[in-house]
Amino acid sequence: MTLLTYREAAIEIEPGEDVLSALLRAEIDAPHSCRSGVCQSCMHRAVEGNPPAAAQQGLSDAQKALGYFLPCVCVPETPLTIVPAREAGARSEAVVHSIDRLSDDVVRLRLEHDSDFAYRPGQLLELIADDGLGRHYSLASLPEEDSFVELHIRLHPGGRMSRFIAEELAPGRQLHIAGPLGTCIYEGVDPDQPMALIGSGTGLAPLIGVMRDALRRGHRGSIRLYHGAREREGLYLHDHLETLTKRHANLRYVPRVLSDSGPHGGDVATAALEHENALPHTAFFLCGGEKLVGRLKRVLFLKGASLKQIRSDTFLPAGSGR
Amino acid sequence: MSSLYERLGGEKAVDAAVELFYRNVLADGRIARFFDGVNMEDQLAKQKSFLTMAFGGPNKYTGKDMRKAHERLVAKGLNDSHVDAVIEDLSRTLRQLGVGEKEVQEVAALANSVRNDVLNH
Ligand code: FES
Repeated sequence: MTLLTYREAAIEIEPGEDVLSALLRAEIDAPHSCRSGVCQSCMHRAVEGNPPAAAQQGLSDAQKALGYFLPCVCVPETPLTIVPAREAGARSEAVVHSIDRLSDDVVRLRLEHDSDFAYRPGQLLELIADDGLGRHYSLASLPEEDSFVELHIRLHPGGRMSRFIAEELAPGRQLHIAGPLGTCIYEGVDPDQPMALIGSGTGLAPLIGVMRDALRRGHRGSIRLYHGAREREGLYLHDHLETLTKRHANLRYVPRVLSDSGPHGGDVATAALEHENALPHTAFFLCGGEKLVGRLKRVLFLKGASLKQIRSDTFLPAGSGR
Repeated sequence: MSSLYERLGGEKAVDAAVELFYRNVLADGRIARFFDGVNMEDQLAKQKSFLTMAFGGPNKYTGKDMRKAHERLVAKGLNDSHVDAVIEDLSRTLRQLGVGEKEVQEVAALANSVRNDVLNH
């Protein structure tokens, strides 16, 4: 029986030996520093098997639930298959279920996938084009309710992946996905805790996933969803969300349009910072461009929000994918 | 007599101090610029290993690690005054948490012991 598998290769591990030592002995260039479970620089993710609790100390509830662990303090007793923390893992096949325009430049892509593609709402997957080009997109769907995965994709004129999506994808078309990745999920949230979901552009997708997950699990605290866009058109789920707030008393939707001077005009980060005042008690979910997420995270933290309660996903600039 | 780390309360004490310490450091105009553009979660983990060391807890830092970790900052102008600021922020954090003056001094001394490595002297 193989106790340790790294990507696809079996790794030899001595009884009592930690995973990091075994990886290094196998000449795998695994990052590390303190070798005592503190600095987290050696983080990996178990895609099969459960790491022992001692190897997950100090990680967030979401990370624990998703199999992240620290190899330097992990002495496995049961078989583990692991990948580096930011790696999507093995590919699987998916088929286009539908593809629709939500606005001028945003499409909603729904994919049917193998039942063994297990994910949590708010995570992301890697979409892989025929030529191997990969990009990360967040999941707006709910595995318990949807038979497909749903992605909101902003099409960039001239982008390679955008061209592939716009020109090649139609219902029935096959392609590959990998993942899931990311820790922006409804985990470690108290049912009575206020939640603030803040995002811009297609950063709305994972927030929708998290919001639906919270509602389905009977979240009782307030849920405030802030969505920012450059133009009015960019509030691509405005009507749907307005309707939803009528059905759920604890849900509020706060749209902000940068180019507008009306009641919904302005910057989404400023709106959120104005409204949110129970910072140390609120569960935050931030999704969008690097600038927005970075700014919000820093300001919220300095004003008293705990980093453990700030979950975030940043869009990677095009070209940083595989 | 029990070790400094035990007297402070071990890993729990580090956990209690780390966010407050990081917040104090980020709010300190003398050194905040060194933290521009860093990944905050990674940075928090690093602060945690630093505190563990400064509290006299288990760590396997070598002078070489310290030099390498701060190379980039030294190139950006990190000097003695910035190390002083960090140690001040650390002491203030501990006082905010009600740690006794004797322990505060011991922690400051431990933090100070890596000064030359950090500054690559
Ligand atoms: S090497 Fe620091 S946590 Fe593993």
